[in-house]
Amino acid sequence: MSSSETATSSIPQEFVRPSVVRDNDSNAEVAIQFEHVTKTYKLFKSDRARFLATFSKKIPFKKVNANDDLSFTIKRGEAVAFLGNNGAGKSTALKIITGVLYPTHGRVTVHGRVSALLELSAGFDPQLSGRENIAFRGQLWGLSNQEIKELEPDIIDFAELGDYIDQPMRTYSSGMKARLGFAFASSIQPDILVVDEALSVGDRRFSKKCLKRVHEIMSDSHVTVLFVTHSSASAKEFCKRGIVLEHGKDIYEGDIKSAIEFYEKRNA
Amino acid sequence: MLATLREIFQENWEWRRQILNLAVIDLHKTVRGAVLGWAWLFVKPLTYIAVFWFALDLGLRAGDSTGGDYPYILWLSAGLIPWFFMQSMLNTGANVYRRYPFLVNRIHFPLSAISNFYALSEFIIFLALMAGLLVVCLITGVHLTVYALQLPLIWILMFFFWVCFSVMVSPLSALSKDFSNLLKAFSTPLFWISGIIYNVANMNIPLIHQIMAFNPITFFCTAQRAALCDHFWIWDKPEILLPFVLVFALTAVVALRNYHKLRKDVADVI
Repeated sequence: MSSSETATSSIPQEFVRPSVVRDNDSNAEVAIQFEHVTKTYKLFKSDRARFLATFSKKIPFKKVNANDDLSFTIKRGEAVAFLGNNGAGKSTALKIITGVLYPTHGRVTVHGRVSALLELSAGFDPQLSGRENIAFRGQLWGLSNQEIKELEPDIIDFAELGDYIDQPMRTYSSGMKARLGFAFASSIQPDILVVDEALSVGDRRFSKKCLKRVHEIMSDSHVTVLFVTHSSASAKEFCKRGIVLEHGKDIYEGDIKSAIEFYEKRNA
Repeated sequence: MLATLREIFQENWEWRRQILNLAVIDLHKTVRGAVLGWAWLFVKPLTYIAVFWFALDLGLRAGDSTGGDYPYILWLSAGLIPWFFMQSMLNTGANVYRRYPFLVNRIHFPLSAISNFYALSEFIIFLALMAGLLVVCLITGVHLTVYALQLPLIWILMFFFWVCFSVMVSPLSALSKDFSNLLKAFSTPLFWISGIIYNVANMNIPLIHQIMAFNPITFFCTAQRAALCDHFWIWDKPEILLPFVLVFALTAVVALRNYHKLRKDVADVI
C-alpha cells in the first residue's frame, strides 16, 4: 500500500467524484468496469479521533490508498485472475465489486449479481442452524422462499453436513462452515462469481469436488469469474487473462501466461 | 438531504420482503433451542410488569398517585410495554451494525434496512404485548373508550421515531465505542427519569414538565396512557405534542445527515 497526499491530481476531472452503477442486467456486454478507482482509507490515531473527525475537519489522519487509480474492464463470460501479494489491493477491489465498500474516487460499473467465495466461513450466524442460515442468506441474496426450498437439498447434499444441518452453527468446525459457505455461494447461480483462495476448503477430496464445481460454473459461457490468488498454478488452470496488482495499482495486464511470468519475475 | 431521504425510502421499499423475513428470523434467533420457544419473548416483559406491579402497587402503594379510576396495573403496563421496545432500541438499536457486522462488511445490504428490520422484530413483540393487554382489558371489563382509537397512530409514530434514532446513532456507535457505551450507560437512568413508573404530570415543578416534554420516552408513555387511562386526544394538548414533533424533526434531520455522511465509512471500520 502506498500513502500519497494528492492522489486526485492524476485523475481526470470527471472521475474525482465517486460513482457506482450497479444493476442486475446480466446481458450487458461489460460485466465489471473500474475507471480510475481510488479507495482511500483514513487512518486515525485512535477511535476517539475518528469519532471527533465526524464533527470537525481539523482532526489529523493519515491516508492510505488501497486502490490507486485502478482501471480495468472485464467482459461478460471472461475468466480473469487477479495476481498480487498481500496488500496489493485485491481484497479492497473485490469488496468494491461486491458492493460492500465504496470507492473514494472513480467510477465503478457492475452488471449482474455477484456471489463471492470469499472468507467462506464468515458471515454465518452462530446461533442459527445450518438450514436456517441457508434461509437467512437466501433472503439476503434476494431469493424467494420457494427458490430457497428448491436449492436447499442441493446445498445440504454438497456440503456433506448430514445431521449437523439442524444444529446451531456455533457447534460446527471451521471446515464444516467453509463447506457450507462454498456450497451456498456456488449453488445460487450468480452472474459474476468471485473466487478467493477458497478452493482449499476441507480435505483433498472435498477440495477436488469444489474445483469440479467451479469448472462446471465456468463452463457456462454467461458467467463471469474473477479469480484472486497469489499462487499461479490454480490461476493457470482457470483463467485466460491476468491482471497483476501492486500497491493498489494495475501494473500488468495480459494473457494469463505472460501475466504469471511477469508476476513471478517481479517476486523472484 | 432530500436525495438521502429518497434513497432510504427506495432501498427499504426494494428490500421490503427481506426486511419482514429478516425481522422474523431475528426473533427466531432469540428463541431457538429453548424448550419454551416463543414464550420466552414474553416471559421477560411479563415478569417485569408483575414485579413492578408488586413493588409499586402492593409495596409502595403508588397506585393512588395516578389519580384515575382505572386499575394501576393497566396504567403501569401502558408505560412499561412501550418501554421494553424503546429499551431495545436504546441498547441494541443504537448500535445495530455491530449486531450484524456481516451485513455491513460481507454482503451488499442497505444499512438503513438493518435498523428497519431490527426495529420491526422488536415492534412485533410490542404489538403482541399490546394486543394481549387490550384483550385482558376486554375480558376483565375495563372500559376502553373511543380514545383508544389513537393507539395505532401512536405506535406508528413510535416505530418511525426509533428507526430514525437508530439510523442517526448507529453510524456513530460503529465509529466509536465510547459513544455506544455512553448510550448504554444512559439506558437505565432514562428508565427512572422518564416517568415510566410514575406520573410526570404529578410533579409540582413546572420546569421539569417543560424539560420532560422534550423527552420522547415520556411522550410515548404519556400518549399510551392518554389513549387507555387518561382519555384525551394527544393533539388536544399541544404542550405535549409540539415538543415531541420538534424532537422528531430534529432527529430525522440529524439522521439523514449522519447517514449521508457516514454510511460509506461504516464498512471501513466494522
